[in-house]
Amino acid sequence: MIATNVRRLSVYLLLAFASVSGALVWWQVLDAQALATRQDNPQVIATRRSLPRGSVFDSQGRMLASSVVTDGISRRTYTDPVFTHLLGYASLRFGATGVERAWDDVLTGRTDPNPLRDLLNDILARQPEPHDLTLTIDQRLQDFAAAQLGADRGAVVAIDPRTGAVLAMVSNPTYDATGFSGDPATAQAAFDAVAGAADNPFLDRSRQGHYTPGSIMKVLTASAALDAGAITPQTTFTDQPREEVEGFVVNGFTIREHDLAPVAPALWDLSPALQVSSNIYFAHVGLELGAARYLDYARRFGFCQALRIGSDVRGLPIDPSYVSARADGGCAPFRDEVELASAAFGQAAVSVTPMQMALMAATIANHGAVPQPYVVRDLRSHAATPAAGPTDSVLESYGGGRGNPAISSGVADQVRRAMIDAVLGPIGKLYAGAGDVTRFGVSGVQTAGKTGTAERGPGLKPHSWFIGFAPAQDAALASIAVAVIVEGGGSGSGHAAPIGGAVMAEWLKLVGTGG
Amino acid sequence: MHAVPRPLELRLLLPLVILVPLGFAVTHIAQTSTLDPGPMAVAIGYVGLMLGAHLALRLVGNRGDELLLPCVATMGGIGIVMLNRLPQELLGTDAFGVRFGMATTQLLWFGVGVSAMVLLAGRFRDDGVLRHYKYTWALAGTLLLVITFLFGREVNGARLWIFLGPIGFQPGEAIKVVLVIFIAGYLAEKRTLLAGASARIGPFSVPPLPYLLPMIAIFVIVMLVVVVSRDLGTALLFMGIFLTMLFVATGRRSYVLLGILLFIAGSFVAYNLFGHVRIRVDNWIDPFVDPSDRGYQTVQALYAFGRGGLFGEGLGQGLPTISGHLPIPALPTDFIFAAVAEELGLIGAFALLALVMCLVFRGLRTAMLARDDFSAMLAVGLTVSLGLQTLIIAAGNVKLVPLTGITFPFVSYGGSSLLACFVIVGLLLAISHRSVVDAQIEGRGQ
Repeated sequence: MIATNVRRLSVYLLLAFASVSGALVWWQVLDAQALATRQDNPQVIATRRSLPRGSVFDSQGRMLASSVVTDGISRRTYTDPVFTHLLGYASLRFGATGVERAWDDVLTGRTDPNPLRDLLNDILARQPEPHDLTLTIDQRLQDFAAAQLGADRGAVVAIDPRTGAVLAMVSNPTYDATGFSGDPATAQAAFDAVAGAADNPFLDRSRQGHYTPGSIMKVLTASAALDAGAITPQTTFTDQPREEVEGFVVNGFTIREHDLAPVAPALWDLSPALQVSSNIYFAHVGLELGAARYLDYARRFGFCQALRIGSDVRGLPIDPSYVSARADGGCAPFRDEVELASAAFGQAAVSVTPMQMALMAATIANHGAVPQPYVVRDLRSHAATPAAGPTDSVLESYGGGRGNPAISSGVADQVRRAMIDAVLGPIGKLYAGAGDVTRFGVSGVQTAGKTGTAERGPGLKPHSWFIGFAPAQDAALASIAVAVIVEGGGSGSGHAAPIGGAVMAEWLKLVGTGG
Repeated sequence: MHAVPRPLELRLLLPLVILVPLGFAVTHIAQTSTLDPGPMAVAIGYVGLMLGAHLALRLVGNRGDELLLPCVATMGGIGIVMLNRLPQELLGTDAFGVRFGMATTQLLWFGVGVSAMVLLAGRFRDDGVLRHYKYTWALAGTLLLVITFLFGREVNGARLWIFLGPIGFQPGEAIKVVLVIFIAGYLAEKRTLLAGASARIGPFSVPPLPYLLPMIAIFVIVMLVVVVSRDLGTALLFMGIFLTMLFVATGRRSYVLLGILLFIAGSFVAYNLFGHVRIRVDNWIDPFVDPSDRGYQTVQALYAFGRGGLFGEGLGQGLPTISGHLPIPALPTDFIFAAVAEELGLIGAFALLALVMCLVFRGLRTAMLARDDFSAMLAVGLTVSLGLQTLIIAAGNVKLVPLTGITFPFVSYGGSSLLACFVIVGLLLAISHRSVVDAQIEGRGQ
């Protein structure tokens, strides 16, 4: 009797030992890889501390970031502070940001881009090999754009509208992150110095700065209204000339025109309205379009959602831009017609990032499709001496694809012509004319653009904005689209437009006007 | 009493003569990156002790199971190699003005344990002392437990220690043996009554309560003291031993089922009542919620298993220190299994579990061959206490059950635990010896 029960007991005990063995197989074999790559795994931390990290090069193979291992600690050097916001930093003490964060697993070699080799490395327990990155950015243009901004707070973003390749991404003020890497003990002082500096150097204004856009938003308003059929390029509003003087009463609130200075009010259609940047005209356009369609088109252009430079897996997040109040990670409905009419000329609750504005300009240049921005061009085997440039062994190349259609190609053409007029037209050249690339030593090229002077309230100097692209005479030619903001820079024509024109001209000189 | 040969035991012990010193040398070489095999005194002492135990068993004329000692000695060998490879100042004893390192202390306790084992295996020929005075044993044990709870010293949040001069021990380990003796004595006496009669409550057939009451009363007292002193692992172990023995005595799964249901209900109450239980359980459900604080040990143990993989990092080459400290603070005691699994891999962990299973199945075989109910029940209880203890701590290490602070028999660092385990093996050898001798007498009679 007892013997029988003992025999039954032994079966249960066997089952219990079998389950413990099963759990062992799970942790030691099946789940071992997942455990080995967790960020809080001490081995991952130790690896980060002592192993070499891949280098980063500009599009021409100039070294921007590289690491050496001394005394068992991997130290990283950044050659150009103008790239700091984009590259970010890889610090043992403060973690990683920017490209360093998004591409961390590849730079350290923790992940091999080739899944087969990745598996083989696992099986053979090979030491991870770092990989190098090449950016889409030419250091010469990046440095030129930074020099144009000078000591001013602001940002310059330039994109190739045909591909989405980021050509420049500058945020001012910047800082040198070299001191953040290396010995965690000394990193603290370097970090504190930047954290204590004025004007928040840590903020990447190009993708995290939120600004009122002012008149550059009229490009979105015009694009949306034309595509929706709410207006044509010939549409006029009968009351507009009178309202330029007396004000436009919406729901009892009077919308007033900005100072038109040398221009006398007249009955304008789209092109002259964009040239003088008439708030009254675009308030009418916004109301014709209506709140629902306005929000719909804003979303098509990328507003009201978080975007990324690069892919979802390895991308730099771009803060969402808003046309109305923020709600649940998107845009709230417009409160009333006053807010809608004001948003149509870029005031009220509109809040945008320079990157989104560059994408908006690039969309007009790219036949109405929003390019998918990317900044890492390819991935290569690690170069032993990074100062001598990258290796020729490209493991992976990346691109931005065709982009997402926001408006029809025909409408994009209409807006493009209006934006050329805004720079070169008889009235326009008084404003956005300052962004004309021919003023900066490039000939035979037309420029499309729009200035913005974003009012910030009493006592504060407006933000100075410019968006544009060139060459603009034929959409297929456009090889660069820019967005420039100078914080508190006053009028768009005075400050941002010349920077935008100079940056575009510099690029055309570097690559040739044919693109 | 005259000497007997134990040839199988000797043959199975002989590999240790090479393997244990080799383990010491390998770990020392791996850690110092020299060809110096390092100090061998502990290794030689250990091998000598186990061979000495074999000789002593022959001298005292024990004819019991020859597989028990080799299993134990191999497990202990793996343990002492691991303990010797860890920083020696981690644990240890200051006694008589001398500082004993962790491995040395463990070796001394091995000596004490082996002596107790040989003594029991050789001298313990009449179990009447245990059977007849079972209540006395139980009361003495319970008293010891209460004294510990009232006057003991608190270590790591649980008051489980009594110190006699420099030497501390955990009476909980002794009570484990005493409880098994009591339950075995009680069930052997009342077995037929219990197996036959039963009442029914709903779908459950309930044990006839009046017969069980004295045993349940004592068991409940022991459990209460254990639970109040926050020794969760021991509580779980005692519950397991009790239910298993009840099952073996009566053959009724429903008793076990009822016990498990009661235990689940009790655990639920404890979860809501005690903060430390809640922490343990939450950690078990997802240790990665707080991997740097509350879930730290559990998470680090999982990393250790992961690093080990199929073949292990190699003796002496795993367990990377984190800023000078071991990755897992309770490594020598609660997490020795994880350490073995890291350095010897899945294969080594399986080998260790196989040794325990071998020990357990030889113990159960001893029970099946035992000549009387008490011996059988005693062998079952003792064997199961070793088996369940291993299962509870190993399952806790691999996150199958919430982690509780009990030792891995013969492998973990800890004197009281080692002594209790050797007492158990000594009693098993004695029981096994009697059945072998009885069988021989019977055989001669036929």
